[in-house]
Parts: sequence; C-alpha cells; structure tokens
Amino acid sequence: MPTVTTDAIVLSNLLAELALRQLPCGGWAALRSSAQPAIEPSCYCALALSSALSTSHAERAFEFLVQSQNRNGSWPAFAGDDQEGAWVTALALISLRDLRAAIPARLKGFQWLMNSAGRESDWLWRWKFRTADRHVRFDPVKFGWPWFPSTVSWVVPTAWSLLALKQLACSCGSFEQATFRVGRGIEMLLDRACPGGGWNAGNGVVYGVAVAPHPDDTAIALLALTDHRQETVVQAGLQYLEHTAVDLDAPWSLAWTILALAAYGQDVTTLQRRLASMPDLLAIGDTSTLALVLLALDHNQALLDLGVIS
Amino acid sequence: MSLTRRGFLVGTTALAAGASVPVPFFLPKYHFDRRPLRSRVAILHAEQYSQKLDGVLESGLRLFLIDVRGKRVVLKPNLVDYAPGDAINTHPSLVLAAAESFRRMGAKSVVVAEGPGHQRDTQLMLSKSGYERALRDEQIQFVDLNRDELIRTPLRASYTGMQHLWLPRTVVLADFVVSMPKIKTHHWSGVTLSLKNMFGIVPGSRYGWPKNILHWKGISESILDICATVPISFVIADGIVAMEGNGPLNGTPRRLGKIVLADDPVAADAACVRLMGLAPSRIVHVCEGARFLGNADQRHIDHIGETGRPPANAFRAVPNL
Repeated sequence: MPTVTTDAIVLSNLLAELALRQLPCGGWAALRSSAQPAIEPSCYCALALSSALSTSHAERAFEFLVQSQNRNGSWPAFAGDDQEGAWVTALALISLRDLRAAIPARLKGFQWLMNSAGRESDWLWRWKFRTADRHVRFDPVKFGWPWFPSTVSWVVPTAWSLLALKQLACSCGSFEQATFRVGRGIEMLLDRACPGGGWNAGNGVVYGVAVAPHPDDTAIALLALTDHRQETVVQAGLQYLEHTAVDLDAPWSLAWTILALAAYGQDVTTLQRRLASMPDLLAIGDTSTLALVLLALDHNQALLDLGVIS
Repeated sequence: MSLTRRGFLVGTTALAAGASVPVPFFLPKYHFDRRPLRSRVAILHAEQYSQKLDGVLESGLRLFLIDVRGKRVVLKPNLVDYAPGDAINTHPSLVLAAAESFRRMGAKSVVVAEGPGHQRDTQLMLSKSGYERALRDEQIQFVDLNRDELIRTPLRASYTGMQHLWLPRTVVLADFVVSMPKIKTHHWSGVTLSLKNMFGIVPGSRYGWPKNILHWKGISESILDICATVPISFVIADGIVAMEGNGPLNGTPRRLGKIVLADDPVAADAACVRLMGLAPSRIVHVCEGARFLGNADQRHIDHIGETGRPPANAFRAVPNL
C-alpha cells in the first residue's frame, strides 16, 4: 500500500494519468506528446502500476517489454531502434523479475548483460587510459557497464546492472563471471565518485578539477551500493544527497533522492510531502518522471520492486 | 572489440608503415558543398544581460536578409549544467530576445530545444539556470531533445563512419535551426561555438549521458557529420560573458561584451575564434567545415555592423590546444 503520509487523491490522479498515457502497444513514450514507445519510461510505469495493483495495465506493459527484446537478449532504447542493445536491458530485467513467463527472456538478457562491459575492460584501451589519455581521473581497471556498446562505463548503467545482477539466483553455469563483474562494478562506482561526495555521470575529476555531483546520479549509485554503506564514499554520497534535498524542486531528482534516502533507512516523510504537493504534477510532460513520483510516494514497495531491498 | 597483444603489434606495424599519410582528413568525406558565395557576420556590442538586449538583437537581425515567415523555428541554446554565474550556459535573456524577434518576424512557431549532455534531469537544469521561469512567462515551448521522438536520419557526411543517427523529430522537421552557443573554450574540441553546440541535438535517451559514442567516433568528426546532416540556418552566439580556460564547465568567466550573428555557422565560429584571440586554423572542425559547410576565409565574409578586434590577451585554453 502507498505510504500513509501521501495524499490518496494525488496518488489516484497520478495513476489515472499514467494509465491514460499508455500506448495501444502496452508501452509508454518518453514524452506525453510522443507516440514512440520507449523502454525506460515503460519500465518505471510498469513498476508503478503493478505495485498499485493496476493489473490490466501492468500486464500489457510486461507483455510489451517481453516482446520488445532484441534477438541477442538485450533490450533496445525504444521500439524500432537498432538491435545492438542498450543499458535499459538491466532495467527491463528488474521490471520483469516477478513474471514467470519472462524467465527465458530474462536468462537471455542476463547473458547479454554479462557480455556487456565498458571499453576500458579491454587491455588496449586500459593501456591508452593509463598512458596517453589521462585528462579524466579514473582507474580503468575498475570497469562496469556502458550506456551503449563500444563506449566506456558510466555510473547509471553500472548501478542498474548491479541491481539487476543482484537478482541472479546463483553465479553458476554461464553466469560464473557474475561475482567478478559485480565486484568490479562496485569498485568502479566507488572509484568514479566526486571528490566532495556524490556522483555525476562518471567524471569526478577532469583536467585536475573536481566536477560537481548530480542528485539523481548520486541516488541511483547509492541504490546499488546499499550493501556497502560502511564505505566512506557511500557515506559522503549520502551526506551530499541529504544536503541537496533541502531545496530540491525538480520532481525527477527529488523522487530519486527519496528512494535513495529511504533505502538507507532515513525518514523521507517531509520530502514526500513536498513532492506530493508540487503544483501541476499531472502536467509533467516527461512520463518517466511521473512514474518516478509514484514510486517515490510508495517507496517501500518501490524499493522491493527495484530489487534494492528484499 | 577485443584485441590480442599479437594483433596489436601487427596493427601498429601496419599503422607505422602508413604513417606518412596525414589522416584523418586527407580525403574529403562530404558529398556536397553548402558554402555560400558570401557569408555575413555581425558583431554586436552588449555590455550586460538586460531587457535592452531585445532592441540590440532586433536591430542586428535586421542587417540580414532573413525570411522566417510561416517557418518552424528551433532555437538551440547551449545548456550544459547549472552553476552560479553567467559563463556556462547561453543566457536565457538572449534566448527570449531571439524568440521574441523571430515571432515578430512572422515565424509559424518558435520553440527552444536542447538535450543536455551530462545532466539527466532537464527540468532541474531549466529551473536552476533561470530558463523555466523565463520560458513560462513568455509562453515559449521547450522541447527536451534527450527524450523527443526519434527519427532514423542518414548522415550526409562520413567522418565518423556511422551510417545514421537517431535524431529528434523537433530538429529534423524544423524549417530554421538557430544555433545559440556560448562563446567558450572547450577542453576537448578547443572551442564550443555554433558547430559544437549541435552535439546537444543528439539524444541522451538513445546515446547516453554523456553522448559517449560521439567521443569515441571523434569529436571533430562527429561535429562535422551532425552539422552536415542538420543544417544550421543562423547563429546567435552569446559572448557577453564568455568563458576561457578549462571549459565548457570549469573555466573562468571572461567579459567580452559581444553578441555574434551570422548566416553561416563556419563564418560565425571563425569570427568568434578570432574574437577570442585564437586562430581558426587551430580548430580542426572549423578548418574542415570550411571545405564544405561554410566560409572561414575572411575574403568570403562580409562583416556588417561592428568589426571585432582580437583582445589584447587571447583567451586561455587548456594546454593541448
């Protein structure tokens, strides 16, 4: 059930708006004005609607997700996209976790995820980053997952991949590398943090200058690191997020902040109230943000659905 | 791609054998010549961001033969990240002045569109940078290019080797694209001006934050492919407060007091580079763009309005420029 501090009318209005935006194919477009179904908003919407027991909408959404899978086991960024796969594969795997019919699809997806790695995982590129290309400070030995193939690791896709792989029942058979990849991914997140605390896309220091963190990237990284809360970097990230939350006025970042702080056991009631009372929530054009607001207002269920807590 | 050490040695030997060829721009990789016979550049004086910009810009635009009647105009500012001061992003007051001018000139529609390269929360960017309120007050639509509907668009040059990009519908279907960069140094590409500003049309939802594939394919190469594919109709560059040093994010504000207008993006960028006290010949994508996208050669450029002089002290840049 939604968290008691939130307004039931706000929740039901948001749910109705999400249901209204569902496309005939079962997916959602990134923007209300668009009819091009995309995977990221569809995953958030499916999770938001399923936790609210809006079953028919959620079932159609899950069906859309399963049907959108590429032949190689990955998911595209949107319907009609090229077939090489994208970071949203991890998000789709998380969203489909409770769907028994999706088990074969998920196994193929996990396999693709295991084979996907930042370019610095290859020794040649690692050598380049250690010798010729040192403007961005990072340890190329510690690699995670890219947004798209043939690029380096970044914070958000790595965090989602870690959360997805957390759902693997065992590191056996074709998944024997999972423990290694998870370990490397965690190291990579810790390595890419900003010096003053928190994360941005993944460039903590460029040309010797510290780059500022972002609340949403920090929150997503923290969600993937709940088993490492004793790490100094994690504690610094939490402090940055608590400090930033005080005057956050953008629903996307505030929603992620609520989810992350709740995952670390902090009281988010005040933040939830602020989020629920934001004017014109229904007018938000970005559908992912709308779904995120719903997930944040029902954070206990959302953290379960996202695989952050069990 | 995985490569063994043996493969690497064979490859480097082959590369060494061919090292006498000046790659990567030895052969032209464009399939048309868009250079006008004459390009026009106007450098306007503006000391600060104020309501007076409306008048300055409108009189500047009158110097050009622009016909936007009935056209869908897209203003593409440079919105990188939020931070105190005026040196990172194109200032909203200049964008508002441009929108108002194009409306008065009879445009069918004027939208502001951008896809920030690092910051996923576009609304937070708009809010913190002052755009949200300004656009709402003037009832100007904003399109988040990171999440717009995408169209598979064949590339009209082949510097990156990519065949196509997925580009936002708003930009692909626009009749008149106005690149509105901030005049800044950039630690990877040397400068970020009207041509580099077009990185922002590449959608994060398809290519990630940052749009890392463009770095791997080569920044100059990507700029050239993108600008060949989506023509820039006009340039309004914000140099009232510019940036030098470690741009585009961590440089130092530099008061320049100029707005640069041009009907040719290469001419605009060459003029801005000269205003920064740098040489256009040092900027790879400007040099190569001058072969087919526009004119960098002063002999083909008409300076209307004020003539810009290089500053006594050139803009500081990162050491590798």
